[in-house]
Amino acid sequence: MSLTFSLAHLMGGIILLCAFLQLSQRRLAAMITLYQLEALILSVAALWQGYAQHEMALYLTGLITFALKAVLLPWGLREIVLRFNMVRAVETAMPMALSMILGLALIGVAVLVVLPTTMRSISLTREDLAIALSVVLLGLLLMIVRRNALAQIIGFLSMENGLVLAAVGMPGMPFVAEFSVALLVLLAFLVVGVFLLRIREHFDTLDLSGLEEIERRGR
Amino acid sequence: MFGLPGQGMHLHLDALSLLFGCILLPQVVAAAVAGMRASVAFWVFVLGMALALLAGDQFTLIFGFELMSAASWLLVLQGDRKPATLYAGIAIFSGACLIPALFLPASSLAFVLIALGAGAKAGLAPLHSWLPRAHPAPPAGVSALMSGGMVKVALYVLIRYAFINLASAQQPWWGEALVAAGALSVLIGALRAVLEVELKTALACSTVEHVGLIAVGLGLALYAKASGDAALAGVALQAALLCAVAHGLFKPLLFIGAGEVKHATGTTSLNWLGGLMRGMPRLGALMLLGLVGMGALPLGPGFAPEFLLFHAVIGAAATGGILARIGFSALLAVLGIGAALALAAAVRIIGLGFLGRPRSLHAAAAEDLRRGPLVAMVLLGALNVPVALVPGLLLQLMSPVILLLAPQAHTLPLTYAPLTLLILAGFAALAAGFVQTRWGVRGLQEAPAWNGGFGRPPAWLPFGDPHTQVSATGFAEPVMRVMGKGLLGVSKTDPAERFLFVPLFRVQTRLVRLAERVRRATIRERLAFVFTVLVVFLLVLGLGEGG
Repeated sequence: MSLTFSLAHLMGGIILLCAFLQLSQRRLAAMITLYQLEALILSVAALWQGYAQHEMALYLTGLITFALKAVLLPWGLREIVLRFNMVRAVETAMPMALSMILGLALIGVAVLVVLPTTMRSISLTREDLAIALSVVLLGLLLMIVRRNALAQIIGFLSMENGLVLAAVGMPGMPFVAEFSVALLVLLAFLVVGVFLLRIREHFDTLDLSGLEEIERRGR
Repeated sequence: MFGLPGQGMHLHLDALSLLFGCILLPQVVAAAVAGMRASVAFWVFVLGMALALLAGDQFTLIFGFELMSAASWLLVLQGDRKPATLYAGIAIFSGACLIPALFLPASSLAFVLIALGAGAKAGLAPLHSWLPRAHPAPPAGVSALMSGGMVKVALYVLIRYAFINLASAQQPWWGEALVAAGALSVLIGALRAVLEVELKTALACSTVEHVGLIAVGLGLALYAKASGDAALAGVALQAALLCAVAHGLFKPLLFIGAGEVKHATGTTSLNWLGGLMRGMPRLGALMLLGLVGMGALPLGPGFAPEFLLFHAVIGAAATGGILARIGFSALLAVLGIGAALALAAAVRIIGLGFLGRPRSLHAAAAEDLRRGPLVAMVLLGALNVPVALVPGLLLQLMSPVILLLAPQAHTLPLTYAPLTLLILAGFAALAAGFVQTRWGVRGLQEAPAWNGGFGRPPAWLPFGDPHTQVSATGFAEPVMRVMGKGLLGVSKTDPAERFLFVPLFRVQTRLVRLAERVRRATIRERLAFVFTVLVVFLLVLGLGEGG
């Protein structure tokens, strides 16, 4: 029993670390690698929870997560980076130190919120829930502090990882929900990929500040 | 019909609503005869006023009141768009104050809300500056009914709540606050009535003044009622109610007349009128009657209420503590200035609009009254006569209302008897005529006419050079110099506008800019906003649970 939760906490911690490190990376390639690692650990966590809870659906979740998020999406992202020649692209929107301090504060908020509010529920999954909420908030923060559209997508995907982490940690979460979330993410990725192509065609860059400038003038 | 769930709508008639209904009735008839018969909005307006007066429960009252506001807004909108918007804003403000106030338990808060809501609708300072803009905008019949009737309905709500429904929680400062607002209205209304060039605007400003007079009377009565002064309460109520009756008769008369001036000459600007008495003698005579009332000249309908009001203020100044004495003495001075200015305004309208030489071709070619307005004005003018000549009788008829409002009030018989005065003056005139015919110089004597300082107009200017006459602006200039600059400032705008509307506009502009900024926010900024809200919410949740 204690091994189950220790391992689950360890993997949750690694996922949180990956999400946090994404904030500190200026290069897209490094962010994608971190995302891949995050997804990999997530799939392992799902498999482990499936083993611990004796739930077939969680094995399936783990496999889907592995195939989709640890293999397919990083590959697609790398393709985009290569095709758009953004290997050397450097993010400049916000000082890294500042965004990391904000990220730390968000983790604090998540712990502060989850631990007292779930005092009455199952004690051992509370930390998992706190970690999952931290990952979600960090993903949102990533979407806000980055100006590059691809970095924002990575933030979005990372946020979704947090949701899946919360879902697999909770016993009794229906499989359909996880599956549909995964499908939605894939669809969103496709749509955004098309959008990125269009933006690229028009502006020769994925830096959204140009788009914002035009938006401001146009209205 | 419909109403609050489980309660329905109730009508209720007592002496107070009967009195205000009687004030309303001749105006409605006159306005309908004067040409508003065919307008649906007009009849809805009348229905709303009647419903508000006859209401037996809060819902009916507020329903009638808002019906009146909405219909009159439509009617103002027919005239002009900008004042209609301003009017809608004031009506909404007044509704927002009245609706909670009607359902509150008797307390000072309820009174303040009622005074704000009904006062804004009645044009009581400092919420009066919409009135000189909105009242002149619609057709004359509606202007007449708005100025003479709608304002009275708002005052009716104020009276009913301040004197009857909230009587259990009465405080002396209610009356003092009402007196202060009324004194302010008298001063600003009378001053602007002298300064305004447009005839209808000047009349609307005079309405502000008369509302102020009524409010002073009501405030005095409230004050006397709270401090237990029976005689003062009686006199002050007599003054306020008689003023309401008189104003409800001569102001519609003047507004319908102003509408006829506009119809005949195409303008109501006093700077383009003049000499109308020659082309429109009947209108001139009827307007003169109304203006005698507006200027509160003796033997006119407006004199008795002012006389009573001065009595009440003098009575109040003679009692109470040193501060009250000083305050009421100052009030006496303010009312005196107001009366003088009102007289100046009346003289200015008759002197510049109806006497002298025409200032434009239209004024020279004006034709007399059409039939409908003539009937309306004659009706109102005829009703003015009893108010002017037998006010004592009217006050006796009103005594049930006064007893309803202040059960302990003593009502004294009026010491001013205009009918006797008129008969005596008639005898004196007869005697003078007799003396003149008996011992006067016989035969004709020719002498050059003085003609008010004017020579005969030159042949190439058939009715004289208009610019050799004093204009309306010029006539008001001394008043402007003595009082206007101090009270209205160099820009000549109403202080209420400067201190109330301009800051409001500024706030609105700022809010619009803020909204625009939000609308133009980039995706990241919007995300950041939502994110911040989320984090704050989580923090509150966590801290609330943890603490």
